[in-house]
Amino acid sequence: MKKIIRIAIVVLTIGSFSCKDYLDTPLTTNSVVENYYSTPGQAEVGLVGCYDGLQRIWDGGVAFPVASTVMADMTFGGTGAADPDNYKMMDEFDKNVAPAFMNMFEDNWKAYYAGIFRCNTLLMRMAEQDWTKDNARATEVQAEARFLRAYMYFDLVRMFGNIPLLTQPTKANIPQVNPDEVYKLITEDLLFAIENTSDTPYPGIAATDYGHANKWASEALLARVYLFYTGYYGASDLVGLVKSSDALGYLEDLITNSGHGLIDDYSSLWPAAATYEAAMRGDSISANTYAGETNKEIVFAIKYTYTSDYNGNADGNSWMVMNGLRNQSWGKYGYGNGWGACPVMPSVYVNWNANDIRRESSIMAIVEEGIDYQQINDVKEYTGYFTKKYTPTADKDGNSITVTDYGAVNFMIGQFQDYFSIRYADVLLMAAELGSANALNYVNMVRNRAGVTPVASVDKDVIFEERRLELAFEGHRYWDLLRYDNTLDYAVNKIAFSGRVMTAGAEVDKVIDAANIKLTRGLCQIPFNQITLSDGVLVQNAGW
Amino acid sequence: MKKNYWKIKHRDRALLGVLIALVLGLVYPAAAQNRTVSGQILDEEANEPIPGATILVKGTTNGTITDLDGNYSINVPGSEAVLVISFVGYKSVEQTVGDRSRIDVMLPMDITSLEEVVVVGYGTQRKKVVTAATVQVKGASLQKRNNTLPMQALQGQAAGVSIRSNSGQPGTGMKVQIRGVGTIGNSSPLYMVDGIATSDISYLNSADIETIDVLKDAASAAIYGSRAANGVVLITTKKGSKGKAQISFDSYYGVQNRYKKVDLLNARQYAQIMNEQFLNSGGSVSNLPFDINNLPNYTGKGPANTNWLDQMFVKNAPTQNYTLGVNGGSDQGVYSLSFSYTGQAGVVGGAKYSNYGRYNARINTENKLFNDKLKLGENMTLTYTNKNGISDGNQYNNSLRSAFNTSPLLPVYDQNGNFFNTNDSSIHDQNGNGYWNKTEANPYASMVYNNQNATNQQKLVGNVYGELTPVSGLKIRSSFGVNLYNDSYRSFLPEYELSVYAFSKYSKVTQSMNRSRTIQFDNYATYDFSLGEHQFSAMVGTSLYDYSREYVSGTNANIAFSGIDYAWLNNTTNKSLISLISVNGGPMDATGYTNGPSKLLSYFGRMQYNFREKYLLSATFRADGSSRFAQGHRWGYFPSVSAGWVISDEGFLKSASVIEFWKLRASWGQNGNQFIPAFQYTAPITFQYANYNFGNQEGANTPGAYPDRLSNPNVKWETSEQIDIGTDLQLYSGKFNVTLDYYKKSTIGWLITAPILGTAGANPPVINGGKVINSGLEWELGYKETFRDLSFSLSVNGNYNKNLVKDVPTADGIVHGLTNQLYANAPEFYRAQSGHPIGYFWGYQTNGIFQSTSDVKNYTNADGKVIQPNAEPGDVKYVDQNGDGVLDNKDKVQIGNPIPKVNLGFTISLGYKALDFSVMAYGAFGQQLVQAYRSQSGKYSNYTTAILDRWTGEGTSNAMPRVNNSSSNFINFSDLYIQNGNFLRIGNVTLGYDFSKLLKVKAIGQLRLYAAVNNLWTFTKYTGMDPDVGYGVSNGFANQFASGIDLGFYPNPRTMLMGLNVKF
Repeated sequence: MKKIIRIAIVVLTIGSFSCKDYLDTPLTTNSVVENYYSTPGQAEVGLVGCYDGLQRIWDGGVAFPVASTVMADMTFGGTGAADPDNYKMMDEFDKNVAPAFMNMFEDNWKAYYAGIFRCNTLLMRMAEQDWTKDNARATEVQAEARFLRAYMYFDLVRMFGNIPLLTQPTKANIPQVNPDEVYKLITEDLLFAIENTSDTPYPGIAATDYGHANKWASEALLARVYLFYTGYYGASDLVGLVKSSDALGYLEDLITNSGHGLIDDYSSLWPAAATYEAAMRGDSISANTYAGETNKEIVFAIKYTYTSDYNGNADGNSWMVMNGLRNQSWGKYGYGNGWGACPVMPSVYVNWNANDIRRESSIMAIVEEGIDYQQINDVKEYTGYFTKKYTPTADKDGNSITVTDYGAVNFMIGQFQDYFSIRYADVLLMAAELGSANALNYVNMVRNRAGVTPVASVDKDVIFEERRLELAFEGHRYWDLLRYDNTLDYAVNKIAFSGRVMTAGAEVDKVIDAANIKLTRGLCQIPFNQITLSDGVLVQNAGW
Repeated sequence: MKKNYWKIKHRDRALLGVLIALVLGLVYPAAAQNRTVSGQILDEEANEPIPGATILVKGTTNGTITDLDGNYSINVPGSEAVLVISFVGYKSVEQTVGDRSRIDVMLPMDITSLEEVVVVGYGTQRKKVVTAATVQVKGASLQKRNNTLPMQALQGQAAGVSIRSNSGQPGTGMKVQIRGVGTIGNSSPLYMVDGIATSDISYLNSADIETIDVLKDAASAAIYGSRAANGVVLITTKKGSKGKAQISFDSYYGVQNRYKKVDLLNARQYAQIMNEQFLNSGGSVSNLPFDINNLPNYTGKGPANTNWLDQMFVKNAPTQNYTLGVNGGSDQGVYSLSFSYTGQAGVVGGAKYSNYGRYNARINTENKLFNDKLKLGENMTLTYTNKNGISDGNQYNNSLRSAFNTSPLLPVYDQNGNFFNTNDSSIHDQNGNGYWNKTEANPYASMVYNNQNATNQQKLVGNVYGELTPVSGLKIRSSFGVNLYNDSYRSFLPEYELSVYAFSKYSKVTQSMNRSRTIQFDNYATYDFSLGEHQFSAMVGTSLYDYSREYVSGTNANIAFSGIDYAWLNNTTNKSLISLISVNGGPMDATGYTNGPSKLLSYFGRMQYNFREKYLLSATFRADGSSRFAQGHRWGYFPSVSAGWVISDEGFLKSASVIEFWKLRASWGQNGNQFIPAFQYTAPITFQYANYNFGNQEGANTPGAYPDRLSNPNVKWETSEQIDIGTDLQLYSGKFNVTLDYYKKSTIGWLITAPILGTAGANPPVINGGKVINSGLEWELGYKETFRDLSFSLSVNGNYNKNLVKDVPTADGIVHGLTNQLYANAPEFYRAQSGHPIGYFWGYQTNGIFQSTSDVKNYTNADGKVIQPNAEPGDVKYVDQNGDGVLDNKDKVQIGNPIPKVNLGFTISLGYKALDFSVMAYGAFGQQLVQAYRSQSGKYSNYTTAILDRWTGEGTSNAMPRVNNSSSNFINFSDLYIQNGNFLRIGNVTLGYDFSKLLKVKAIGQLRLYAAVNNLWTFTKYTGMDPDVGYGVSNGFANQFASGIDLGFYPNPRTMLMGLNVKF
C-alpha cells in the first residue's frame, strides 16, 4: 500500500500544474452576439451589416429585377444558346421546360432571410438595451433596420406569395402565413420608418450618407406596397392600416418636401444610355453625361461597388452581367459584354414612339444602332434587341470599365452600377395613380422630360402605359401587370405569347401559355430544397 | 526489449519437429549414472543463442540457466533423465538425455503467439490476458503491399476496419471506419503514433512501422476517452534491439496504369444522340443541331473525335520507394534509424500535375541508466513531403469529371497547336461558323491551367521520455511529445481563355503558409504486483494536450515571369487593382475553422486483475476536459469494464488435446467525440465581408458586422457506448486460429451541423442529436501448415456490419444531405433518418419504361388516377409508393445503402526454400454506389456509351429511358443512378526469391528480389473505373456521412513493380 501511496503522490504532483483556467481559450477573431450591439457605435456597425445583407439578396440565384423583367411582357428569357433553359422556364411559367431547376431562387430565398435575420437580431438586441441617453440616433438605427426588413419582405411576398414570417431570429420550422400578416408587418415597419428615419431633404444630405433609408424612401415604398397589395389582392386598403388617401398623402409630402426631382436628361440616368448619347452627339464616350448614383432623382438605391471577389466580398452588382450584349462588347457606344438575358421583343421597340428619348435609353437595337454583332448563333431567343439600362459598360476599345479603370476581379462580379429602386418619376406616377389633384401635371412632367407630347387627361390605362415606358426593364412592370386587376386578366392578356424566336441562329416556336400564368397566379417557384428541409411544412405554390 | 526479440520468429516450425525427431531417434538406453551434459540453446528461427533459458531435470529442482552465449552445463542422474528447456516466449522442449553428453536445442517460438505483446493505451499486454477486442497487424505485412500510404496497405488486413479510397490521387488519405459509421461528422479514428496523437498517418513510411494495433471495442479504447468514439489506431514505430547492428535496404519501383476504361460517346455517336435529343424535345428534322455526315471541322484536319478520358490519363506513371535502416543496441541502449524516399505519380495528368514525394527520417533510441532503474529515450520521425495535385473533389472542382461532360467534337489543340479555345473568334468550321458551343471549355487545358501548384509539408512527430523503476513492479513514465507541422503552398494561374465562361484575364499567384503545433505531456505510473496467485496491474495518469495553428495566405495578379517556378508574391506587379489582391491570416483549429487553440486535460486510470491467468478482469476510467465546450459542459467521463475467461486452462478442457487455447471475452464501455470547431457555444459576430458602399465614392466601403452563425450553449460530448463479446480459439497446436467478436455500438448525441432552413438566416451551430447503432460480427481465421521446405498459410478476416439510425431529434427527424452535388441544381439524394443506414440514398424507385401512350394512361393508382400524365413513351416509370396518384417526396424511399455490409480480406502465402509467393485480396459487399458522371442541367453534356441502350421505340428498352434536352428522366434522383458496388479485388500478388540462401555469404542475411502486382484484378459489376469509392460529398467537419458517390472518381491504378530487400 505504501507503494500505491507513493505512486499517487508522484502523479498528483505531476498533475497539479493543471488548473481550471487551462481550458479557457479566448476567441480572438470575432466578437460574440451576447455582448455586441450594446453601444451606439456597435449598433451603427450592426446596421451596416444589415445593409450588407440587402446588398447580397441578389448575389446568387436570379436577381429580382432580372426575374421581374423576364416574367413581364417586354422581354424573353434569353441567355446563351447552349445554356440551360432556366430563364425560358421563368419566362414561360412552365416547370417542365427545365425540370432540373427546382431551386432557381434558393440562393435568393436564403439571402433574403439572412438579411431579415440580421435586421431581426439587431432589433431584438437593441430592444434589450437602455438607450435613453442616445435615444434619437438609436431610434433612427432601428427605423432604418425596419425599413430594410420591410423592403426584403415586400420582395419575398410578391415573388412567393406565401412565406414564413419571422420577427425574431429563430431556427424553428415556421409554416407559411397568410400574406396579410406579412403586409401588416411591412406596413408597421414602414410607418415606423416614416416617423423615425431622417427627414433631411435631398440637398442637405451629407455626401457620405447617401444610401441610408430615410423618410422619403419609406413614404415611397409604403405607397408602392399599398398599390400592389390593394391591386393584386383586390383590397380597399392596406391591411386596415393605410388608406388610399394616406398613401397619397405620403407621396405628396415627398413631392413637396423631399427636395427630390427629375433630372433633365433621361439618358443620363443610365451609364450605357449616357455613353450612347455621347457617341450620337459625336463626343467621345468618356465625355458622357451620366448623372451619377446620387443624383436628385434617386429616392432609394441598392448601392454596389467594384470590390467583389471570390473570397467573400459581395459588394458588386453581380446580376447586371446577365443582361446586355451576349459575349461581345461594342466599344463604339461603350457597351460591355454580358450574357444576353432579357432579349427585348421587337414589337416593344417598333411600337415605341421614335421621338421618345426613353426608347434609345432603354433598348440596345442591334440593326438600328449599326452594331456589328457576331454572336447571334450563340444566343437563345435572339430578337435583335437587348436592354440598355442595366448592362455592363466598356471603354472605347471594348474593355470592361470596371476591370480596366477600377481593377475589379472581372466583369461578371465587378459591376458597380447601383440599382435605382425608387426613382422620383415613379413617385410622380404613383401619386397620379392615387388620384392626386396634380395627376395630369405629374404625368406630363414625366412625358416632357422624355420629349413626347403631353397628354390631355389621365386615367389608369394612360398611367400604366406611362409606367411601362418610363420604368421599362427596371423590375416594376411585372408587378404592375399583376396588380392591374385581381383577376389577372390584364396580366395574362399582356404576357401570353405565341410566335417564333431565333435560338442558335435558327427559328424555333415559342409559347407563353396564359393558363400557366393563371395557374401560378404569377408567383415564383419556392425552392424545393427548402420544402424538403421543412419536411413539407412549406407548401409549394400552385403550378410549380 | 524482449518483445522485439520475440519478433524475429516462427517460420519453420516443421523444421523443429524434424530436429526433435532426429534427436529423439538417437536415443537409446544407457547406464544410469551421474554425469554432465552441456550444450547450447538457440532460437530456432534466428539461429541465435538464447541467454537466460532454463534447463531443468524433470521431476527435480535441479536446474540451471544459459549464459550470454546460450551455453549451459548440468549434472544429470542418468540416461533416463529428461531435460526440460524453457524460456519465456518459447515453447518448452523436453529431451531425454540418453548417452549424449552434448545436447544443443533449438527452441521454437511459442507458436500459439499468446505470449506476444499487444499495445494497449499507455502500456502493453500479453495477448493471453487481453480482455478487449483489438487487432494487430505487423509492419512487415504492410510493407509487403508496396503502397505509398500505410493505411492503404492495411486495407483488408484488419477485421472490422473498413478502409475505402477517397481518391486514387497519390497521397490522398483513406476513409477509415472502425466498426461502421458512428456519426455524421468525422468518423475517422484517433491515431496515436508512439503515444502522440495525430490526425492521420499518411506521413509515415510503412517500413518504419513495427505494428499497428487497432482498438476496436469501447473497453480498449476508453482509455483515450473523448477522442476514441471512432476507435483508436496505435502505431508503434520500429525500435532497436540488442545485438549487432543490422542494416537493411528495401526498395521497389513500379509503373501504374489505369486498369479499366469507361467509354464515352465518340463524335458520331454524340452527334446522333444530340440530334435525337433535339427531335425528342420538339425540334424539327429541318434544323438538326448536327449533320452527321458533315461534322464541324475546326482544325482543317477533319472533325475532332476527342476521347477526353484518354487525354487525361497517362501511361506508366512511376511509383517508388527506397528505405535504408539500421537497428542495433547493447546492454546500455538500443537504437533504430531509417531514411527513406517514397514517390508516386498520378495516372491522371502524370507527375507534372498529380504527384507525391515524401522523405522520411526516423530515429528511435532508448538508454538505460542507474542500474536500469531509469530509461531515457526518444522517438522522432521527420517527414518532408512535396506534392501537387489536380482537383478531384465535388462536381465543380474535379478535373476528371469535366472530361466526362465535354463533347468529343472539341479538339484538344487548334490549328496553331495551342489549346483549343471555343471562344476564339478566329476559329471557323468548314461552313464558316464559329465553334458551335462557346460555353464548353477544353477540360485538359483547364486541368493544365488550373492545377499548377506545389505544396511542401514538413512534419515532426515524436517524444522524449523517461521511465523510472524505483522499485520492482513500479514504473513511472513521463513523456513529452510534439507534433509540429508546417506547409507552404504556391500556385500559379496563367492568363487564359478556353470558353466564354472559362477564362482568366490576369495571371495570378497564391502563396500560403500554415503552421501547427501540438504539445502533449503524459505522465503515468504503472504498478504490477501479486497477492498469491492474484495478479494486479494498476495504472493512473494525466495527459495534457494543447493544439494551435495559424495560417497566412496572399494572392496577387500580374506575374512578371510565367510559370509555377516563379510563383512568388514578390514577382507580382499589380499594385493598383486592389480587388485582385487578397491577404488573409489568422488562427485556425484542427477542424480547419478560424478559431482559437484547442486543449484537452485528462485524468485516467486502469486496473487489471487476473487469477492464474485464467480469470481476467480489467476496468478503466478517463475524465477529459475539453476547451471546445462551454463551462459546465466541459468534462466528459468515460468508463469501461471487460472480463475474460481462459476456458482451456480449466481442468475439464486440459485433456482436450485438439484445443490449444480458448478464451471468452466480454466488455462494455463508453467513449466520446469532441471534434468540432471551438466556440460553438456562442454566436460570433463577423466583421469580414460585411461592408456597404454608402456615399458617392466607389470603393469607399463602410465596415459592418453581423452574426454569421447561430449558437448552441448546450453543445456537449458525443458518446459512443459499446458492448463486445468475443472468443479466441487455437486448435491443433496453433495451426488453426479463430477469433470471433460480436459487437453492438450505439453512438448518441452526434455532433451535427445539419443543413438548416433558409429562414434561420445564418449558418447552423453544432447540436447534439441522433443515434446510430452499429452491430455486427467480426472474424479472423488462420491456418498454417509446414511440410518439409514448404510452408503454407491462409488467413481470412472480415466483418458483417449493420448500420441503423435511430431517433434524430431535428424537427423532421432527418439530417438532410447536401443539395447541388450530383450536378448543378441537383436535389437532395442522401440523408440520415431513423430506421435507415446512415447516408442512405433517397429517391424514386423506378419500374421500367413507358413503352406506349396507352402504357402512360394505364399507369394509375388504385383509384384510377394517372400517375404520370405528362409522361411520354420512353420516359421512366416511377413507383407511387403511397398510392395517392401523385409523385412527390412522400414517394421517395431508400434505394441504396453506401455502407458495405460485409468486408472481407484474405491472404495466402506460400514459401518454398528461398522462394515466397503471396496473394492478398480484399472486397466489400452489400453496398450500392451512385454513379453521376453527367451534368444533367446542360443538354450538351456527353454521355457514357450506356446511353446507346436507350429506349428508341416500343420494346427497345425497359431500363434506359429516352433522351431529351431537359434530361427529364434523370432530373429526379432515382435508382437509375444506383449500381451494385460489390467488389473483390486482388490487391497484391508477390513472387520473391531470397538469393542470400544461394550466396551463403554470412554477412548477407537477406537478398530478396521480388516482383509484384498491385490491384491485379477487380471482380465487380460496377461500370465505373473503380468500385472502391469511399468518396462522399461533405460540407466541413460535421457533415461527412455521405459515401459511395462517383462523380468522376480518380481511380486507383494497377501497379506492376519490382522490389529488393537486403539485410546485412
